[in-house]
Amino acid sequence: MTAVPLAPVRRWISRRQSAHRDRGATAGTVYFTVLFVAVVGGMLHQQLAVIFWPAAPDATRLAGGALVPVCFGVLYLALRRFGPLALSRPAASWLLPAPVSRRRLLLPSLRLTAVAAAAIGALAGIAIVGHAAPRTVAGAVVALLAVLAALTGVALLLVALAAQAGGRWGDALDAVASVLLAAGLAGLVADATGNAPVAPGRWPSPRPLAMLTGAVALIVGVAFAFAVRGLARTPNDRILDAAKTAGTLFDSAFGMEPSFLTDMIERRYWSRRRLRSVRLPARVPVLVGQDLLLAARRRRRLLWLALGTALPVLLAPAPHWLLGAAVLAGALLAASTATGNVKTDAGNPVLLRMLGLSSRQAVLERMWVPGALAALWTALALTVLAALGDLPPGPWWALGLTLGPVGAVAAVRRARVGFVRNELLPLDTPMGTVSTGPLANSAIGPDALLLGLPALVEIAQGRPLSWTTVLVQAVVGGIGARAYLAGSTDANRVELTAAR
Amino acid sequence: MGDHPAVEVRGLHVAYGSTPVLVNVALTVPAGTGVCVTGENGVGKSTLLRCVSGLQRPDRGTIRVFGGEPGATPEFWRAVVTTVEPPTWYPGLTTREHAELVCRAHGLDPGEAGIDEALERFGLAGHADAIPPSLSSGQKQRLTLAVGLLRPSSLLILDEPEQRLDPDGRGTVAGLLAEYLRGGGSLLLASHDDTFAVASGATVTTMESLSAVTT
Repeated sequence: MTAVPLAPVRRWISRRQSAHRDRGATAGTVYFTVLFVAVVGGMLHQQLAVIFWPAAPDATRLAGGALVPVCFGVLYLALRRFGPLALSRPAASWLLPAPVSRRRLLLPSLRLTAVAAAAIGALAGIAIVGHAAPRTVAGAVVALLAVLAALTGVALLLVALAAQAGGRWGDALDAVASVLLAAGLAGLVADATGNAPVAPGRWPSPRPLAMLTGAVALIVGVAFAFAVRGLARTPNDRILDAAKTAGTLFDSAFGMEPSFLTDMIERRYWSRRRLRSVRLPARVPVLVGQDLLLAARRRRRLLWLALGTALPVLLAPAPHWLLGAAVLAGALLAASTATGNVKTDAGNPVLLRMLGLSSRQAVLERMWVPGALAALWTALALTVLAALGDLPPGPWWALGLTLGPVGAVAAVRRARVGFVRNELLPLDTPMGTVSTGPLANSAIGPDALLLGLPALVEIAQGRPLSWTTVLVQAVVGGIGARAYLAGSTDANRVELTAAR
Repeated sequence: MGDHPAVEVRGLHVAYGSTPVLVNVALTVPAGTGVCVTGENGVGKSTLLRCVSGLQRPDRGTIRVFGGEPGATPEFWRAVVTTVEPPTWYPGLTTREHAELVCRAHGLDPGEAGIDEALERFGLAGHADAIPPSLSSGQKQRLTLAVGLLRPSSLLILDEPEQRLDPDGRGTVAGLLAEYLRGGGSLLLASHDDTFAVASGATVTTMESLSAVTT
């Protein structure tokens, strides 16, 4: 089969598209992007400095070492999630089945992703060096380390690319990356609990580092060339999957509607799973049994959740109100892992009608599993904090358990939120226009965490915890959950949303 | 439910914008019987079924289902099964588990409800462990019908249940609907297939004959 040259096709498409666009639209986009970056950079330069280059190195060797798998593990998993090789949806529909050179078609995507991976890798490298290296380290070493980190980013991209085209070993590699990420996080937690001094070790001198960087650059360069040669071998279905992801990502960004993306990830996850029908647990109410089954089928998520109970320890040096807020946010996240079914019911009540249950009964039953997860998570997290001496004495585990209803209300409220209402009036501020729809939407759910105010105040104050506070929190949470149920559901209505 | 007809529609008017779709429509489905409405696409069959299911508010007219207004109450939906809306499915729940969930929500013992037999009859036994989104559109349609027939109900409102079914499937579904009628259930369906409608035991009527246009 003769391949049609791709460049004229792309030029033709671009010319047709530009006929639709306003004159200078691209220049305008570039201008606004640059302005946005400059304004945000100007506003946040102090915070950015804290992240990338603090005044003095503040990470121990353990923390510095742990940051490496954390940063690069996240980069690798993100690359895998989004492709890494993707096409726009129109290109996937029209150009992928066309007789054009597959390599030429995919090359721009690879180039763009490589630049992004290199940039993110370099930024991560600079941040790690900035936190861990003594300020006496030569500028050349920092630059070389940044280049090395960028090359690592590209190398990870190439591995992800091979995994995208390859078989099941890609999944195994993802699991390894997840384990490394978890180990890195565990290292950070261990570092936060210990009192190791910030004693920077020996840093390499420029010469051997330059040789190492050169060698790595050579290897990555050769691997990249091989990857370009083998680009045409990437299976179509993988590219189509990635094109769908990219398209949904853009839909989410332009429509300010993150649910497009999360729904797609959820759908894709289940379409890959091989399930075996089991009997629903018979001793609990029917919807509780269904939620239990769904939670049990996402064991990896539960494992991450369990490991996540140690993460608030990282915030122990921060002001304690921040720690309290993190614990409440954790309760919401833990509860949210079991709200997939509420989300389905809120989006379309067809199944609720088939079940013939009232909205009150349905939501009440749907709150049990999220509530139990939130209670267990906060109890564990607060117990860990108390055991490490980051909290004053008291029955913190009990306070954690009382936060269960709070997490359940917040997560169920979040799951029942509909699409972003983009018709809400935008706010004009000196910094530009802010659309209120996404803001209002993102607040629905987390706002219910205000029910955890007694616990938040208690953690912030840093006084020994009394049983009275536990009781107050239990009563506030319980009454809040009852009020939410009474106010947002009806025993005489099936649909979760009230008729407008 | 008393002696009321299963469905009683009087003077129903529905318009989409300036286009009238249903004009003065009257329809009665006596309890324990079946009526099948036929007509071309766009003639308003689905709109009529949506109104009877309480999913769409008519511009004018009265609708009674077993003597009461169709509504959003759990009681209504425990008596009525409808397929006028495209189905959704729960994440991470297999075909068989969906059927079991519905049975258990209606207080049926899943062991005695005949789930496996129902899946077998609808040709879904080989897909019991599949998640419904992975099924073909015809299989999804059969699953919806299977689940709808497994749970107890007094009235089935089905929009073109024969669609996307192969000839064998049509025969099976028509037989099951006839059995449902013999068991005392009532049936309102819209269809393009007169043979299917007759086989299901429903009285066939055209959309035009329901409309007493007085212009």
